[in-house]
Amino acid sequence: MEKKETFAEVFEARGVKRRDFLKFCSLMSVYLGLAPTMVPRIVSAMEKKPRIPVIWLHGLECTCCSESFIRSSHPIVADIVLNMISLDYDDTLSAAAGFQLEEIRKKIMKEYKGKFILAVEGNVPLKDNGVYCTINGESFLDVLKETAADAMAVIAWGSCASFGCVQSARPNPTGATPVHKIIKNKPVVNVPGCPPIAEVMTGVITHFLTFGKLPDLDRLKRPKTFYGVRIHDKCERRPYFDAGMFVESFDDDGARKGWCLYKMGCKGPTTYNACSSIKWNEGVSFPIGSGHPCLGCSEPDFWDNGPFYTRRADVSFVGVNSNADKIGVVAVGAAAAGMAAHAIGTAIKKGTSESKTVETEED
Amino acid sequence: MARIIEEQYVWRLPVRIYHWINALSIAVLFVTGIYMAFPIISPPVGEAVWYHRMAWVRYIHFGTAFIFIANFLFRLYWALFGNDRYGRFGGFKPWLPAWWGQPFKEQLASYLFLKKEEPDYCGHNPVAALTHFLFVFLGSWFMILTGLAMYGENNPGGFLDTMFGWVVLLFGSSLTMHTMHHLVAWVFPVYLILHLYAVVRHDIVNRSSITSSIITGYKNRVEECAEYAD
Ligand code: HEM
Ligand code: SF4
Repeated sequence: MEKKETFAEVFEARGVKRRDFLKFCSLMSVYLGLAPTMVPRIVSAMEKKPRIPVIWLHGLECTCCSESFIRSSHPIVADIVLNMISLDYDDTLSAAAGFQLEEIRKKIMKEYKGKFILAVEGNVPLKDNGVYCTINGESFLDVLKETAADAMAVIAWGSCASFGCVQSARPNPTGATPVHKIIKNKPVVNVPGCPPIAEVMTGVITHFLTFGKLPDLDRLKRPKTFYGVRIHDKCERRPYFDAGMFVESFDDDGARKGWCLYKMGCKGPTTYNACSSIKWNEGVSFPIGSGHPCLGCSEPDFWDNGPFYTRRADVSFVGVNSNADKIGVVAVGAAAAGMAAHAIGTAIKKGTSESKTVETEED
Repeated sequence: MARIIEEQYVWRLPVRIYHWINALSIAVLFVTGIYMAFPIISPPVGEAVWYHRMAWVRYIHFGTAFIFIANFLFRLYWALFGNDRYGRFGGFKPWLPAWWGQPFKEQLASYLFLKKEEPDYCGHNPVAALTHFLFVFLGSWFMILTGLAMYGENNPGGFLDTMFGWVVLLFGSSLTMHTMHHLVAWVFPVYLILHLYAVVRHDIVNRSSITSSIITGYKNRVEECAEYAD
């Protein structure tokens, strides 16, 4: 394979203006939360370092991550993405197909052993020897393991790859399993979201290119820069939350005035993502901005934590068709009934016998 | 008729103060907690920026939570190191099979009406000790750990988040942790009913003034007097 060009060379060849290129670099520095002094570092990384080869695998998924990715707001962002992957391997976007494409994957794996990034979209069905997702006759499990063995790092794109998403929701018929539970011996970054925000995806790769390492990760292996803060804490409706002004139904006055969606089932208080800061579609809006409660799509098991339009406290769990308060009230009722019965028992006992008090000593 | 034959000083002042701070803070925590889950009071009118209704409820919940935690830790210290015969863990050793022996069985049998005698302990009887352990001790630990982890979420990367963030992982997701904090909150009203009933019942059956003992500290030991046979 020919020597890898730098990002800057690719842009030049594609007629991207230098000005736009610099704009892209500063944009990335902002998303990554870097000081303005770091912009030159990003520029120089883009100019000097050869592009990182990326192999992009698709497992059990719906391609919404790819769809989101190729719609990055900044035109160059989209370009980067396409250049980065169409030249290497992506079974959805590549021109090549079939055996030809698989050849390319094998070739990259050999030539860039230990130097390429493996991006995984979707997850791995483990049941019945992985027959529920096969590529070119091989189970996705085998393909993933084989490719990951030679990768430098693995990026799990989207909630499927990160946490399992809808295909692993109860009862998980195919045994869909997120990437980090399968690949244990390589650094794995989770970039959850259904789909993740395009800029977040590009940001992770830019960080990697600039600093040669993965960004700081939190406990769930998510990049802290983008998943450090809850939606709730940067939400534009937060003043209404604090004031206690809540939308009660989608057509009420509060909804028209843009009040807080907490009572409409908003999962913002328990969801870590960058939607309320970076937003979507070139920064136009995000679900809450458009009057829809957050579904918590970047949180583990969000499909099992529904219903989406029910406020948290009403959510039923552990397969019981009952929320915390129903269980609580029943327990209190049972305790009261039990005690009342016991009181009657005590009265009868007292009536039939003189209760004898035994003196006891304890240590 | 009964005659008081002995007044025993059982609950020392620190234990009594702990008891009432605990009772009050749990009541406040429960009410504010449920309100956070169901903010039912109709919204104020006007500009949101002047109102902090939900913010105040949360603030009170968190403030009370820290009083509750400090009080709990104090009680733990007292139970472990306090020179207090009735207020320390002392004989509570449920990991020893012997602890589940005679006294426990007798007390349980008596509560279940299988036995006529009503044992009368100065401090906690073994069944009471077990109940306290399950509801108050474990329940408080659960609420404190999940509570601090949730509180830490308000300041990611901060001290509490660093110290207690691992709790979130036990539940898989922040949402599940919130739900469990909410569910386990119900342990306290359930306990309250058992507790009040047991206290009043002992007062009547043993006439030990157990109810007032948590205010005065004294329990009475009473003796049945012979009735006049005239
Ligand atoms: C007896 C003890 C406690 C009770 C009964 C209690 C009860 C509750 C309830 C019912 C909720 C509402 C959950 C929901 O939204 O569905 C809640 C939320 C919460 N509690 Fe507690 N709690 C207790 C102790 C604590 C402690 C010790 C802390 C520690 C700081 C704490 C911190 C929190 C936090 C951070 C929230 C979430 C507030 C929010 O998301 O706005 N709680 N509590
Ligand atoms: S709309 Fe959701 S995220 Fe925004 S303040 Fe209300 S509860 Fe929080």
